[in-house]
Amino acid sequence: MGSTTPTHDGITKLTNCRLLRGNALVWGDVWVCSTTGKILRSQATFYDDLILPDKTIDLGGRIVSPGFVECQLNGAFGFNFSTVLEDMSQYRKRVSDLNKMLVQTGVTSYVPTVTSQTSELYKKVLPFLGTSGQRRAAEDGAESLGAHVEGPFLNPGKNGVHNVSVLRQAESFKDLEDMYGVSNINPDATEGSIPIKMITAAPELGHMMELIPKLRSRGIVCSIGHSEATYEEASVAVAAGATMITHLFNAMRPLHHRNPGIFGVLGIAERLPRPFFGVIADGIHLHPTTVKIAWNAHPDGFILVTDAMHMAGLPDGTYPWTNGEAQQFITKKGAVLLLEGSETIAGSSSILIDCVNNFLQWSGATIPQALKAVTSTPAAMLDLKGVKGNLEAGADADLVILSDNYTEDGLAGLVVEEVWKFGIKVFENCAA
Amino acid sequence: MRLIIRDDTEAASFYVANYIIERIKHFNPTPTHPFVLGLPTGSSPLGVYRILVEKYKAGEISFENVVTFNMDEYIGIPRDHPQSYHTFMWQHFFSHVNIHPRNVHILNGNAPNLEAECVEYEAKIKSSGGVDLFLAGIGEDGHIAFNEPGSSLASRTRVKTLAYDTVLANSRFFNNDLDQVPKMALTVGVQTVLEAREVVVIVLGARKSLALQKCIEQGVNHMWTLSSLQLHPHPMIVCDEDATLELQVKTVKYFKSIELVARAQGFEQILPSKVRTGPSKPVPVQTILVNGDHERYVNGIESPTILAPQPTTSRLLSAATPAAEYPIRSRSVSPDIELVPDRMASRITDSAVFRGRLTPGPEAQTNGFARVNIVGA
Repeated sequence: MGSTTPTHDGITKLTNCRLLRGNALVWGDVWVCSTTGKILRSQATFYDDLILPDKTIDLGGRIVSPGFVECQLNGAFGFNFSTVLEDMSQYRKRVSDLNKMLVQTGVTSYVPTVTSQTSELYKKVLPFLGTSGQRRAAEDGAESLGAHVEGPFLNPGKNGVHNVSVLRQAESFKDLEDMYGVSNINPDATEGSIPIKMITAAPELGHMMELIPKLRSRGIVCSIGHSEATYEEASVAVAAGATMITHLFNAMRPLHHRNPGIFGVLGIAERLPRPFFGVIADGIHLHPTTVKIAWNAHPDGFILVTDAMHMAGLPDGTYPWTNGEAQQFITKKGAVLLLEGSETIAGSSSILIDCVNNFLQWSGATIPQALKAVTSTPAAMLDLKGVKGNLEAGADADLVILSDNYTEDGLAGLVVEEVWKFGIKVFENCAA
Repeated sequence: MRLIIRDDTEAASFYVANYIIERIKHFNPTPTHPFVLGLPTGSSPLGVYRILVEKYKAGEISFENVVTFNMDEYIGIPRDHPQSYHTFMWQHFFSHVNIHPRNVHILNGNAPNLEAECVEYEAKIKSSGGVDLFLAGIGEDGHIAFNEPGSSLASRTRVKTLAYDTVLANSRFFNNDLDQVPKMALTVGVQTVLEAREVVVIVLGARKSLALQKCIEQGVNHMWTLSSLQLHPHPMIVCDEDATLELQVKTVKYFKSIELVARAQGFEQILPSKVRTGPSKPVPVQTILVNGDHERYVNGIESPTILAPQPTTSRLLSAATPAAEYPIRSRSVSPDIELVPDRMASRITDSAVFRGRLTPGPEAQTNGFARVNIVGA
């Protein structure tokens, strides 16, 4: 049996709340420990360690969700990850500032995304974007789970706002090493984890198909995106180990009834495991019905992403944007971001909870189903099942406390009331 | 025997929960003088636990100085298995109230030496001062704790093989797979329960009605181990209407009537006397201190008193057990009003039918004991 000393620092019991468990909200308690930063097995703590919580917090019936996991975030609060600063030590500070702001939106961990850029930029910024949760310090705010390089091995025909001039084809693994930097992509070249967690590539170009297994073996998630791939090509990529589709529908061939394209792999055809897929539910990138169809096609793979740019959280106006070798401008008008002087959508400026609320409104999905798309599903996609995105004992105690508000028409939306990181409250909605 | 009949499950559960709360409050427990509560698992006490939790959250009761002993636990399933009684207690009670884990005792079904575990458990009960109130439920076969039909009425905490019926009934919790159902359990014995200062049993639903009938209207019988309660000085059974289906109308009416009469006289059928109160309660004039801080009544000091039937327990149990600690008398909360229990037998003209009854009337008290002892042997 455990020790007889009652002092066990920082156990908090959250009670009178509804916990997100699978596809249900279940009344229950959750015990979190700020020392380990994890969710406790409360029954064992009681019977084995003979410990009671230091603090009990009555949440008054609110919802406790795992902290949100964002898989596609290009920047926010005025900082763009695809930026080279003259003094790169400032870069670290900017990321750290962003983390503290981001956590207040309910996003407790995320994958900082770098768009198609020159090799030089990748090599400079990637070392700052690797996993940042090793310290397990709540005050650090949102935690990077590793970088997402969205490019530059993309199809020029589906470049979106990416600068075509920097797009490349990869013929060998060396091309990837040369592009991102050897130490950023090879686990044995660095101590600990590598900065890159996820790569978006067009599998139909170069020898990307053969490179997918090599990336997988390094623990890197391969995502199909900005691609002209046919259904057949996409199927081969999935068979090779691609487990994700980057912003489904956007920057890919639309669904055609005789060639369903990338979307087609969400069918069960070819007896392949169906990949996860990101969906931008900001109300601009996709029609609500499209979002609903995608969810219905494969609810367990459905991941809500923002694809937010650094203008997220800033007032309307025109903002500079480093795009490959070019310096361009993006005009923000409301939630809409357009490449200056064009009609091309240049990412979004929404935050993840908005996407969740949009999705709830459009789809008729239940609250747990919607929350799953920003918690357990992205965690599973990033091979972090059991660590992030769930409330089971042993998982990191990253929590979002939500209130659900109703009007006569039904659910009016979820509001982020509190955010907890590693067992410590780091944000409280004072407006409430 | 007190039998409290309520209209439905909720009302019966409410009565029991309130009763326990009143007992704890009246006891006024302290860290050095805790209230010792025996606890059951199963479906019957679920409502009681729920109400206790509600009352705790409403600030009406604290379990800070309550020590608990659970009745039983399966052998051979992990402690944190969803069907273990550790898990049951955690989910339905302990996780919701301010009871300290150090005050919680549940038999360890995975102990390396099960026999030693049982011996130690009995020792722990004794060292904590004995159980003040043992709450219990019953099985359809009338078992109390896992004392299946045929268990010795003198049994103590031990390893018990479960009856086939019980295994079958439990299989619904184990995917209907008999192989997964534990076949053995650790359980307190009948004697362990009887040694509590008070035993409160909740019996709910028509399925338990035959067992209730056997335990109330029939004799003490090891095939219906709950019937052993007839030997206890302070038993109380709380049931719903459905559970009385097999009882005779006159039995039901009798018990309802004595409750009504008692209430009309201004007192409830709560345990009123000095069965055990906290040390901080004012000491009544007519008590003397024996053995340090333990209060004891000395028989005969208080008068005038109408003596209630002397239960056989005082003969069956050794004088040292908590249940026999106090001479038994039926005494109301109000010091001026004494409850004179009505007896079934007094309503029957042909009293010859009841010549063999276990509990003699006051008038037959003295010479009645000889007969009773034979039953308990």
